[in-house]
Order: sequence, then C-alpha cells, then structure tokens
Amino acid sequence: MSDKVKIIIDDIEYEVPAGSNLVDMAKWYADNDIPVFCYHPKMEPVGMCRMCLVEQGSIVKDRETGEVVLDENGNPQVRWFPKLQTACTQIVHDGMVIRTNTEAVKAARENVVEFLLTSHPLDCPICDKGGECPLQNLTMAHGPGTSRMNYDDKMHLDKHVPLGDLIFLDEERCIQCARCIRFQDEIVGDDVLAFHERGRKLQIITNSDPGFDTYFSGNTTDICPVGALTTADFRFGARPWELTEVPSICPHDAAGSNISLSVRLDRDFGGRAMIKRVMPRQNEYVNEIWISDKTRFGHHFTRSEDRLKKPMIKKGGVLTEATWDEAIRFVVDALKAADGSVAAIAGSSTPNEDLWTLRKLVEGLGGGLLGAWTPTHAGADLVAQVGVGKGTNLGDLGQGDAVLIIATDLEEEVPIWRLRLKQAADRGAYLVVANARKTRMDDFASDTVRYDYGQAAHAMQNLDAAIAKKLKEANNLIIVAGAEGLTLDGSRALMQAAANFLIESGHIGKPNNGLLSPFPGANGMGLHYMGFSPEATLQIMQNPPKLLIVNQAELLADDPFAAEWLNKVETIISLNLFPDAVSNMAAAALPIQSFAERDGTFTNGERRVQRFYMAQGPMGEALPAWQVFSQLSEALGQGHAKLSAAAVMKEITENVEAFAGMRYKELARVERQFPDVGGEDLYYGGTAYQNKGGLGVQIETSADKGEAVSVGEVKLPDSPKPKKGQVLVVPVAQLFNRQSTFKPSVLVHPRVPQPYVEINSKDAARMNIKTGDLVEVMMADQIRVTVQAHVNGGAPEGAAVLPRYLTDEATPMVLTVGEIKKV
Amino acid sequence: MNIIFREKDIPNIREFDVYVKHDGYKAFEKALRMKPIDVINEVKASNLRGRGGAGFPTGVKWSFIPQSEPIKYVVVNADESETGTFKDRQIMENNPHQLIEGALIAAWAIQATAVYIYLRGEFWDIAHALDKHIEDARQAGYVGENIKGSGWSCEVYTHLGAGAYICGEESALLNSLEGKLGQPRVRPPFPAQKGGGLYSEPTVVNNVETLANVPFIIMNGADEYKKIGTEQSTGTKIFCVSGHVNNPGNFEFPMGEITFRQLIFDHAGGIPDGKQIKAILPSGGSGPIVPATDEILDTPLTYEDLQKHGTILGSASIIILDETVDITWAASKMTKFFKHESCGKCTPCREGTYWLDKVLDRILRGEGKPSDVDLINNIAANMQGVTLCALGDFAANPILATIKHFPNDFMAHVGGELKAAGD
Ligand SMILES: Cc1cc2nc3c(=O)[nH]c(=O)nc-3n(C[C@H](O)[C@H](O)[C@H](O)COP(=O)(O)O)c2cc1C
Ligand code: SF4
Ligand code: SF4
Ligand code: FES
Repeated sequence: MSDKVKIIIDDIEYEVPAGSNLVDMAKWYADNDIPVFCYHPKMEPVGMCRMCLVEQGSIVKDRETGEVVLDENGNPQVRWFPKLQTACTQIVHDGMVIRTNTEAVKAARENVVEFLLTSHPLDCPICDKGGECPLQNLTMAHGPGTSRMNYDDKMHLDKHVPLGDLIFLDEERCIQCARCIRFQDEIVGDDVLAFHERGRKLQIITNSDPGFDTYFSGNTTDICPVGALTTADFRFGARPWELTEVPSICPHDAAGSNISLSVRLDRDFGGRAMIKRVMPRQNEYVNEIWISDKTRFGHHFTRSEDRLKKPMIKKGGVLTEATWDEAIRFVVDALKAADGSVAAIAGSSTPNEDLWTLRKLVEGLGGGLLGAWTPTHAGADLVAQVGVGKGTNLGDLGQGDAVLIIATDLEEEVPIWRLRLKQAADRGAYLVVANARKTRMDDFASDTVRYDYGQAAHAMQNLDAAIAKKLKEANNLIIVAGAEGLTLDGSRALMQAAANFLIESGHIGKPNNGLLSPFPGANGMGLHYMGFSPEATLQIMQNPPKLLIVNQAELLADDPFAAEWLNKVETIISLNLFPDAVSNMAAAALPIQSFAERDGTFTNGERRVQRFYMAQGPMGEALPAWQVFSQLSEALGQGHAKLSAAAVMKEITENVEAFAGMRYKELARVERQFPDVGGEDLYYGGTAYQNKGGLGVQIETSADKGEAVSVGEVKLPDSPKPKKGQVLVVPVAQLFNRQSTFKPSVLVHPRVPQPYVEINSKDAARMNIKTGDLVEVMMADQIRVTVQAHVNGGAPEGAAVLPRYLTDEATPMVLTVGEIKKV
Repeated sequence: MNIIFREKDIPNIREFDVYVKHDGYKAFEKALRMKPIDVINEVKASNLRGRGGAGFPTGVKWSFIPQSEPIKYVVVNADESETGTFKDRQIMENNPHQLIEGALIAAWAIQATAVYIYLRGEFWDIAHALDKHIEDARQAGYVGENIKGSGWSCEVYTHLGAGAYICGEESALLNSLEGKLGQPRVRPPFPAQKGGGLYSEPTVVNNVETLANVPFIIMNGADEYKKIGTEQSTGTKIFCVSGHVNNPGNFEFPMGEITFRQLIFDHAGGIPDGKQIKAILPSGGSGPIVPATDEILDTPLTYEDLQKHGTILGSASIIILDETVDITWAASKMTKFFKHESCGKCTPCREGTYWLDKVLDRILRGEGKPSDVDLINNIAANMQGVTLCALGDFAANPILATIKHFPNDFMAHVGGELKAAGD
C-alpha cells in the first residue's frame, strides 16, 4: 500500500504511485491533459510558464485520530490553497485534491496564453512548427479569441539566429520555457545553452564554440513548444500536415534508435515520396524520445546523386549498364562457374532479411564462408549468450546499479547509449569508464581506469580491487565492451574477460544485467544470428575464394590492406548503395535499396529485432538486396523467390531459433508507454512521434533461458609494440565523418573535423610538433596520410589517436605501429 | 530609542574595539554558552519578525532547519534593492559588528558551517569594509576554527551580486550566490529544507536589519525586547523616508510609537515648499500606495495597522508624494522599474510588466482611451497570485492601488469620466 496514494482529480478518485508528478499522473490515470509549456516529463519541473495552474487542496484529517473530517453534507472536508498552484511542481500525496475545470482555472489558462501571445509574432503561416505546435494547440483550446495587445507594441527581435550550424533560433517565437537549456544540461550534460539578460529581454544563447556544440541538438527542436528552434535540415522545407510519418530505424549505429521518417511526394524528388526530416519515435526501451544528430541529419545519403542506380556487369572488361534480367543471368553464370568456391562478406548495416537470403544463396551453392564486415569487433556470440537480459532498459539503471564501459568512446560510437548511461549515472548508478585515453564519458564517470593500448582484456581481468568489488556487489551490472585499440583477437579476449566477470558475479540472465558491445553499423548482432562472423572474414582474407559476394561493405574504403587479398579473388559480385572501389573491381555491381526505400529489420546491440518500413521512392532501379539474392537462388533452382520482406522474415523465424516467433506482426506490436509522448497533445512531450510501427522483440540470451554458457579460454594476444621513435597508431571512431552514408549530409560538413591525429604532449615535444602542424602519419610502413596534429591531452604517451573516416585515404581498421613526421 | 543605530549614541562603534568596549560580542559569547535550541527559542519568544519585507517570525524560520543535517548555512540578505530602501547600508557602514554578531548567533543557533553576506553589486565598498571588520572579529577569535573554544567552527564571507533587484528574493539570491542565473527557484523545497538552500543544504536567509536585532534579544532576553513595540510588532523598526520631505533619511523608532504624520512632519521635516502631501508609498514600489488622508496619516506604524489599511509595512521604505505628482506618471515609473527588474522566468510577470509599460506609455503620451485604464487594471489583476515569486504581485500593485485610489489621475490622461476613488 505504501507505494500507492489516493488523489482526487475533478471529483474522481485515482490510486497512483507515490512520489510521482501530478501532471504525469493526471494524464496517465485520468486522461486529463493539464496544459503545460515548460514542464516536460523527462525533466525536472521549473514552474516557469504558469500554464498548468490548478486548484489544489487536501482532505482534512483530524490531527489526533487521523480520521477524515467530514463537512455538514458528510463529504470529506477539503482544505484548499488560497492561490492556484502549478500542477507541474506537485508531487502527488495521499488526500491530494485538484480541480482542473473550474472558472478560476479556465481564467488562469486563458490569461497565461494571452500573456504569451502578447510577445508572439503570430507568424504561424510561415512557421515550421505550425500544425504541430503546442502554442497553437493550447491557444485553440484555452486561449482568448482575440488580442488586446496592440500589434505595434510587440518587441521585434532577430528571427534567424544560427545557434550553431544545425539549429536556428527565432528570438521572437521563443517563449522562454528553458526546455532547450534544461535538455542540454540535465539530459545530455552538454551545458551549451543559456539564458542571457532578464525580463522580456531574456534570450537563448549558446555559450560554446562552435555554437550549440553537442551531438544531440536536434532534440531541442522536438521539445521546443513553439517554432523558435528549427533545424537547418527541415527549416521552411514542408508543412507538417503535408507529411506522412513512416516508422523506421536509424541505420547508423548499434542503438537502433526508433525514428519516424516524415515523407511527402516532392517536386525535388521527381514527385516521389521523399524524406523531409527524421524525427524520433518513442521507444522507452531503446532511445526513449531522443535521437542523435547523426540519426536526424544522416538521411541524405539515401537520395545522393552518387547512388548506384543501374545494374552493371562487366562486358569486355568494362563495367556496363545492364537490365536486371541480364545482370541476374550474368551473376548466375558466374556463381555456377565458381564451382562452390564462393564466400560472402556483408556489411554491418545489412538488414536481417538480406543476410538470410544471402546465406541461403551461399549455402545453396555448397556452402562457403560468411564474413562480417568490418572484422574489428569480436564476441557477438558472447553477447548472444550473456548479453543484457531480455527486458533490459538502460533507463531503469540507477542507485545501487553499476556500469562498466571499456575500450570504447560511446559518445562517438553509440551516442544514445552514452546519453542514457550518463543519466543512469545521474540517477546514482556507479559508472566506471576504462580506456587507454580520456573520452567524453569520463566526465560522467564515478571512477576511471587507464591501461595501455592493447591491454584492455588484461585490464578487465585485473581491475582495481575496490572498483571490482563495487561492480560485483551492484544490484545490476552492465558491461559495455568495445574494441578501441584492439585487434580482433584482442577484442575477443576482452569480450571473454568481460563475460567471465559477469558470470562470476552473477550478473547475467536477468534484465539490466549482462554484456553490450558497440558493434559498428545497425545490424552487428543480426550478422551473428544469421551466421556471419568476423572470424570468417579473416579466413576469407587468408584464403580468398574464387567468387566473393560483397554486400554493403566498402572493403577498400575501410581497409587499405584489402586490395592485397581482393586481387586474388577471381570474381567479385558487389551489391552496394554507391559505386565504390570494390564495385569498380567487380564483375557485377548491383544497386540495392537503402533502409528508407524498403521494408526490413535490424537487430540492435541489445538484440532487439526492430522493423523499418518503406518510406521513400527508390533510387533508379535499385532493389532490396534480399530480392536480388532471392531471385538468384530461384534462378539457380533453389526454390521460389520470396515476394516480400515479410515472407523472408517468416522463413527466418522457421529456421533461425533466436528469431522464432518474430513474424512482422509480432515486431509491429506496440503498447502504451510512459510517459505518453507523441499523442495529440504535443505540448506534453514534444514532437517525438508515438510508436505505431512496433517496439520490436528482444532475443533471449542463453543465460536468460537458463542454458549453460561457454566463454572459452581467454588468450591474451600480443599487441604490436612500437620501437624507439615509433608510436602506436590507434584508429578511433568519430561520429561526424566522411563515410559514404554520412558524407552526403552536407549540412553537417562544417561540424566534421578536418582530418587530425591526436598526439601526446611528450611525444609531440620530442618530435617538435605543435597543435595545428601538418604531419604525415605512416602506418605499417606503407600507409601514409597527411593530417593536422592535435596536442590536446587526448592521447596517452606512445600512442597517436587517428579518427576514422576523416581522410580521403583509407586508414587501417586496427592499431598499427607507425611513425609521425612534421611536413 | 536606538537598538540598531547605536552609532548615534556611541561614535565610531563601527570599530571593533569600540564595539567590544560597549558590550560587543557579549551576546554571542552568551549564546555560545547556551544550547542552540535555547537560542532559537529565545528569538522565537521575542516575536522578532523579518525586516526584509515579509515580516516572517525569525525564530520560527530558524526552527525549520533540520538539525540532523551536517551542513547548514546562514545567508545575510544585503541586496537592499527595494525602491526607497537604504537602511541596511547604514547598518553595515556604521554598526557592522552588530550585524556580524547577529549573524554569528544565528549560525550558532542552527549550527551552521558558514555565513554568507550577499551584497548588491553597488555595495562593493561596503563589502571591502565588511571584510576588514570580519577579519577583526576573526583576530579576536569570533570567526573561524573552534570559536571561543566551543568546538564549533564557522566562516563568514561576503559576496557581491551583479546588481539585480530579483537577487534580493531569497531563492534567486541563493542561485546567484551559487554562480547561477539569478532567478527564483520553485518552492518547496524552501531554503530551510534539505534540497532548497544554498548548494541544496538547509539555509536560513535573513535580512541585515533582522539579524542586527538579535544581539539585543540574546543579551537582554526576549521579555525585555518585547517591551519595545506592540505585541505583533515587537522591537524597533528603521523607517527609510524619501521623496517630497525636507529631511529624508533613516529613522529608528519602536513600532507603534509613532504615526505616519509624526514621522513625516515631526522627524522628516514635512513637505517642502508648503505643498500638500498627496500619497504615501509605505513599502517602496512593491507595496500598495495609499492616499495621505487623515486616517492614514494617523495610523501607527506597525505591521498590523498598515495591513488594516490595505497596504503593508514591508521593509518600511516610505516614499512621500506631494500634490504635484501625477499618480499615473508614478505608476509608470514604478512599472518601468519592475519591467526592468523582472527576471523573466515566469510568463505573467515577464509579459505583463512589458505590456503594462506599453499601455502606460500610450496613456502618458495622451493616446490612451478610457478602456486602456480598464485594460491595465485587468492585466495587473491577471498577474496577481499566479507568479513564481512575489515580484509579479509587487508589479501589479502600482497599477491596482493607484487606479483604485487615484482614478482621476488616469482619467485626466484619457479623457474619461471622473470617478470616485476607492473602487
Ligand atoms: C522581488 C523581491 C525582492 C526582495 N528583495 C529583498 C532585499 O533586497 N532585501 C531583503 O532583505 N529581502 C528581500 N526580499 C525578501 C526575501 O525574499 C526574504 O524574504 C528575506 O530576505 C528574508 O529575511 P527576513 O525574514 O529577515 O526578512 C525580496 C523579496 C522579493 C520577492
Ligand atoms: S527556444 Fe524553445 S525550448 Fe528554448 S526556451 Fe525558447 S521556447 Fe523554450
Ligand atoms: S514573478 Fe517575475 S521576478 Fe518572479 S520569477 Fe516570475 S518573472 Fe521572475
Ligand atoms: S509552470 Fe507548470 S507547466 Fe510551466
């Protein structure tokens, strides 16, 4: 009983959880939408806008007996506050009574709206928010019909203030609710916005350089209750009511953020459906209502003019356009000619359906190796065994729980995990961050651990006793183990060591416990379940087959050493979004559709299988890869081609145990989520969309099912050792980069760093290098890039940290020994 | 009778040696020999009410502090920004040790770990002087580690604001003191509660004058103190008189001992140039204006008597307006002040002050209509009782009370029908 209290809202009694917020409870239990502007269910109340005023009182109880005192009519007596109270700042308590429908409340709401509108420019007809604007909606619902304010008396302010490269502020529209400031401060921890001045002059400013310096800025445009904050992407791009919302999944990282693609038939896209913007879609298990700026602004690649639009086959040694029929026949012949010496490599954002049909194709040809790309992160098999338990929600972690993050820079690799784990730390979770260098996550850590590059597994096995004790004794423990500064062997050893730690301390097989890894791409775990592994990739590299199918994997852009072994492959069949160095070498280069143009599923790092839906018109003649593989199989006499992604998934459910029961209908299941964001009342949670596409289904781990788990013997691999005068060159992730799936998002270019290498100050002093100097980094005696030196404390002595995908030249995927010279 | 302005009787009491020679810090030493709870009870019994404006019983406020919390603070509110208030300045300039002593007694009573004196930015010279006085007290062992062998340690710091009226509001003051934007906080939690005070620790915030009363109470006992003033308004009060008087300044009197008339005419020298007195602002811009009727003029100066007449004693910053003053102009002046000082955090105050100012300007330009007077009356009414802090209510007063008492000053500008005052 103690955790429930009784409150009365407009004469009806409700039993609600103690300690919760009145606005939230009124909405959830009483379906009573108390209007709010500044309150947001994900943030601490501030009581600023005064829109939520209600009459409030409490039932009078006799001091001595504790009995409810009755009035002359036998009803409980209520002691009312003399003034209206802001509902958003109230925590429910037993005997709380509120009225939301009295004349006083109505008048207060009307007055607040009137006050807000006195300063408002009323430019709804040209405002991006128009149509889904809390201020519009609440004005319609509660505002006065006419204005008593002289229009000429309005304050005129700047309407196009770039807060950064991605977000614009319209100072006239801002209603000073501070949601944006509080989001950056409370939720993200990048405290880059602030109020300047006071009174009616109060103004949002950015205090970072560059402006609005954060990976999460776009979210402020969702929660801004007016059109004051707009994205450089969508500004003046379309009216919300012209848009159709299509549920989708972010294709960029292991979080699998649920998104909504706002599309309309667009002149700029030949009248076809076109993505006008990317919005978050609520999934409290995955990304809540937030997305990173990469997720939001990283959709342009789907419409890039550089996309491969027609099938190409080699005729007389030259890649020539062909029809699909020709191409299929061509590839079938090539497959037959390969005599069973066939292997495939799939990139980490290849959807499950494509992986499955590719696997079937290869198996139908007598089997062959199925490689996962990039072969940098081992241990997906371990995640399948002891990954975070089914039902895990990073949002549940708090006091008494612990998180260890090792060998990864989550801010750059999986920003949504970084955001949510930062909040776990805020709620009191014990957060340990271990890496060879300082990363952003250190700022939120309770303890940090340093080790030498290459020694992550050793560090995992030899944690400081006090830290290990706290981790072991935590109620819940999650270990996030990456592969920064590790070879594939090193990554395996780390994942094993982490798994062993979890098993020994009993933190497996239950929600909010277990292993996570920031696999690159959106479907790292899908690769595992469909039978693709990085180990197989290494075997393919060592022993190239006659024919290699490469799907959505830019081997040469990712790995400068790939040419060596690729040259030994007789026939390459390339399927990709873009023509690339691999397709240039290929016998056939086939255009495939991006996630936006088709149906499919990804399995995120938490093993949640999630659907994305066809949203955008296809580019050229591109087909979904599953369809290509399926047709090839049919042409090879392996049975009928599947006609839909759903049919492919049905087959997967029948053949892949982990996917049993994951028919599309199951994956599309939704439930009411708390807080109830994205309904009609946009003012409550912002314009994150309600989830109508499915919450997905999380695959159980072996530990969840109570099965025996086997981690295997940990072999600590040797790590490359630099000699005197040399350094270890360590590739690291950079969220905003020049990868083919992000480069077309031109608006983000100013935020993509110029290529650089981070050098330790002692090494820099020895080599007489200063920040800003141009240096040549030579790796493994053969790869050379010229980049800017940064000496900003971001690299340990003896190591040079080289962010991936900033240079035009490919750089090694794993750490190498190298040399640095000033040029 | 001067409890606070003892410099009038004892020259140079601002110097530590002189202060000590005249029983300075004896009250503190006595308090140190008392149990903290007994100190609180003594102040409670004295009925001392906060001199910062709200008149909240000081001892009761101290008793809210949860004793179980290890870290607690005393914050001295020396922001003194209310229009027409200049009493705290005189205390700090002329009798600073009495404030320091009072603050230390408060600190002992709640077992605080530090005292912060928050001064408005313009008081930088006073802050420097206070630093020296605090240092003198420290040299004598009244500040710092293990004060007078009590085993209790307490630091005293001064801190300068950046010049904002709102930073006199206690929760905005705490934000400012923490280096944050000076905007009020949501209450509860109140400053005295865990989570609501300075750096979230339980904190007593008291006005300078309030604390300067404390040494007398501890030294002479609550009963002696209660003999001064009335039952509900114990002790003396400093009245800051300004405006149309011949002899403006601070006057300390037991509450209830004198009336407005006595204060204005016997002590503040009456109205210059033989003009008639028209109106009184008893509490600067923030309290309701009253017409200078005989009834008002003969009202004794206490919390309870002024309340009977629909206004407040507040911080007793009494501004006198003579017959030449156009009350509409005065209302506009006050509105400009509140518009300038509104922190902007909450809607009705931020937008209301801006809007009121615009309409008043229009009225003063002679472009207003009679309905504009109703409009500002209504805007002001809509600002009342719905804001996050009291500034919103303060800002409504100059309109509501001026229109109520002086409707014809407005009608003269808008060409409306003349009305009787009072409704
Ligand atoms: C807008 C506003 C301004 C205030 N300014 C002052 C001030 O300048 N000095 C002061 O002592 N109290 C000021 N107060 C009152 C304080 O909030 C607080 O009540 C007072 O410091 C408590 O001390 P006391 O109980 O000793 O009066 C102000 C209140 C408001 C709402
Ligand atoms: S920009 Fe938007 S979110 Fe930020 S304070 Fe203004 S209205 Fe609120
Ligand atoms: S009433 Fe005025 S001063 Fe007080 S919080 Fe609101 S805007 Fe700020
Ligand atoms: S004050 Fe409650 S929602 Fe803004």
